[in-house]
Amino acid sequence: MIFNTPLFFLFFAIFILCYGFIFLNHRPKIYLIIVGSLIFYGAWNYRFIPLLVGSAVADYFIAQAIANASTVSRKKWLVTLSLTINLGVLALFKYADFVLISVADFLSAFGYQASLPTLSWVLPVGISFYTFQSLSYTIDVYRGDMKPRKGLAEFVAALSFFPQLVAGPILRAKQILPQMHALALPTWLEAKHALLLITVGLIKKTGADLLAIPAQKAFESPETLSTLELWTGVIAFAGQIYGDFSGYTDMAIGFALLLGFKIPLNFRVPYFALSPVDFWRRWHISLSTWLRDYLYISLGGNRTGHRTRNVFITMLLGGLWHGAAWTLVAWGAFHGVIITVTHFLAQLRIFSSFNQGSETWKRIFKWSITFYLILLGWVLFRAETMSDAWAMFVGMHTLAKDAMISTQAIVVFIVVIIWTGLTHLMDHFVLKGSDKFESKGWLFWPLMVIGQLLCLLIGEPSSEFIYFQF
Amino acid sequence: MSSSTSNSRKIYLKISLAIFLGMGAAVLLMRLLFLVIGADTSNIMGRVVEARHALPKVVKEPDDLMLFFGSSMVDAGFSPRRFDKKLEQRGKQVKSFNFGFGGLNPFFQDYLSRRIKESFEQSDRKIKLTVIEFNPFQATQTRWNGANSIVDSFITMLASNDELIEIARNDPKRGALLFNIKYLRNDISAEMFTSYFGRALFPGTRPPRLEEPEELVKLRREAGEMLGKLFEKEYPDYTGEDWYYPWQGGGTIPEERSEETLEWFKKYYSTFQNPANKENARQRRIASADIEELNFEPLLIESFIRIVKNFQAVSDHVEVVILPRQTEVIHYSDEAKARLATAIAEIEQTTGVIIRNQQELPQFTSDMYRDATHFTRYHGDLVYTDLVAEEFAHYFDQ
Repeated sequence: MIFNTPLFFLFFAIFILCYGFIFLNHRPKIYLIIVGSLIFYGAWNYRFIPLLVGSAVADYFIAQAIANASTVSRKKWLVTLSLTINLGVLALFKYADFVLISVADFLSAFGYQASLPTLSWVLPVGISFYTFQSLSYTIDVYRGDMKPRKGLAEFVAALSFFPQLVAGPILRAKQILPQMHALALPTWLEAKHALLLITVGLIKKTGADLLAIPAQKAFESPETLSTLELWTGVIAFAGQIYGDFSGYTDMAIGFALLLGFKIPLNFRVPYFALSPVDFWRRWHISLSTWLRDYLYISLGGNRTGHRTRNVFITMLLGGLWHGAAWTLVAWGAFHGVIITVTHFLAQLRIFSSFNQGSETWKRIFKWSITFYLILLGWVLFRAETMSDAWAMFVGMHTLAKDAMISTQAIVVFIVVIIWTGLTHLMDHFVLKGSDKFESKGWLFWPLMVIGQLLCLLIGEPSSEFIYFQF
Repeated sequence: MSSSTSNSRKIYLKISLAIFLGMGAAVLLMRLLFLVIGADTSNIMGRVVEARHALPKVVKEPDDLMLFFGSSMVDAGFSPRRFDKKLEQRGKQVKSFNFGFGGLNPFFQDYLSRRIKESFEQSDRKIKLTVIEFNPFQATQTRWNGANSIVDSFITMLASNDELIEIARNDPKRGALLFNIKYLRNDISAEMFTSYFGRALFPGTRPPRLEEPEELVKLRREAGEMLGKLFEKEYPDYTGEDWYYPWQGGGTIPEERSEETLEWFKKYYSTFQNPANKENARQRRIASADIEELNFEPLLIESFIRIVKNFQAVSDHVEVVILPRQTEVIHYSDEAKARLATAIAEIEQTTGVIIRNQQELPQFTSDMYRDATHFTRYHGDLVYTDLVAEEFAHYFDQ
């Protein structure tokens, strides 16, 4: 069940009816959230419901045990148990086949023909999101950053909360559990903001589905296209993945807000970033801060003199989090390298003085370099294989093919640029000026209707959300 | 009632109203737009809609009934009134109908055949002979992929509510989508709307196009305009139906046309007989339907088998034919021939009907086609209709 479908609309209408008019006390509302979330999740594959509930129950009791443990070593043992259970399940479902196939490939490269059995298991939707969310709870309790919460039902409701269950944002226990306990009602102003976010999310998703067409064309047959068409395809993919993922997130935040839950933003106009480091402060913020707080800092962070190594490992595993493929490992490694180089350059005198100025030309220069690097990264992310990615890189940087440029290619290039830019402007507007807009009813409601109309009119078949596969 | 209960109901009443009124207004605007641009079932598949509307009349015809069901090749290639006359000359009273429809692959044809079957079953009437065209290139994966954006809309246009409920039972997400398209969106899915307007911006790969001689293009345009004027003169009462009952779903016949018109038709079709036009038409079919390699989509073969079974339930006799192929233009690879043979064997085995493969009959020459696949009017169609009359007249002996 995905947000931009009539079935979800029907589901949410029934849910709102129950949540707002029938189940008015705290406990029934919590049970309603659990039941609704499990129906939402079960619509994909009901057989994975025990996995989701099992993760929640295990971490709930492990966190209680950590808090009650009398020795540090016992606490350590318990948090290791939580890590083993959560990461073990993730590894089994997501990475087992990847490892087995990679080992077989590695052996065959040395002349050993190994036929290792593979599991071929279906990947449970959203497993990477809820696993990280659940882990953050036990780690926070272990670190003493929060006390374990009483109430298993509230914990299960928080972990399975349907608006953000399958594609994030990855909420920390300390962000969601107090809200699950309070169950505040939304104000009318918040409700209007939620409707704005849902509409903006739908528009972004609609645009992303259209951008998927030139992106797919470019990545399917790079050797037949001109340089301009390849760049169009890569920029289209950049726009597609941003519109798709941030659109979903906007809708998730909007639906949660309609139920009275405040979820922090997951994106802050990422393609306006002025350095790779800046990009990761703006892109998929809930994942990058999770990796920073629970992985990078656990590795020693900046303190141990191994910053380069720690950044690299964090980005590599961040890439692997997105999926079991060498292209994604390469994508993570690529970002590890460019972040490290950014840190290195920042230490050089010539660049530190360059960084201090905020003149427009300097900002444009920094933005161009950053955006170029991000696009190169998306090639690795989107390509099926490393050799496909290489073919794209070569095509994008070989000017000879430009003899084939058609007017249509130029038009598509401009449309793709405009749409990707518009998506960012919409975001910028939501971040900076939405409150003024929401207070003007005469403008707000007609534009909401026009936004919905746009989404009703435009559609592409088989347009699932990209981030569900992670 | 506590204040929190009352507050909850108040805020969620406002939220529900905002959502439903907002969405309601958007849906109304969308329907208004569809109305303005004429996006509705009758404009998209007028011929199908009109043929379905004619079914109550068809089932009441007193003579023996013959239905020719298939693609646009049947639409262009079979003249019912010519067929009836041919059989009349043999002393047989038959009323035949052309049920050839462009743009419907076997998946959609299956739904249409169910509607036809229902009409005949409800009136307890049987068709004496149904001839069904198996069109190989309509059953390819390329054809199926090309129909991706129209599948949902076409299902809602052709399926019954019971069939939609059955889909919803198996897949609630899809069922909800289809009911939404049918009842809120006037049968027009967002995908169909986008593909109609968006393909100009994001087109698929187009085959290279050869330039035709300018004088031929000019003559074609001139002849086309002239034929339009002559048609209006010779058929003043015709109101533009795509499936016209008095013509039994087929086109006009030469006996009704003037000498001048027939001369213009000759000129008109002569302009298509040039290598560039033939090659362009061939390339279009390769790109849109994989016509020379024939990589079949199993779902479409299954659908075709269901079509045959649907007609077997309401027909005394069912024949399956593959219409003549323009062998000078369309060349099957050896693999395509093998794939076609396998598909034919599967259909024959499952339905018990032996397919008459008319693809390489020598009497059909290249000048009888107006493009890569369709017969010309008053030439190719007449020769083909005469063949059908010759081959199947015996069914009307009893």
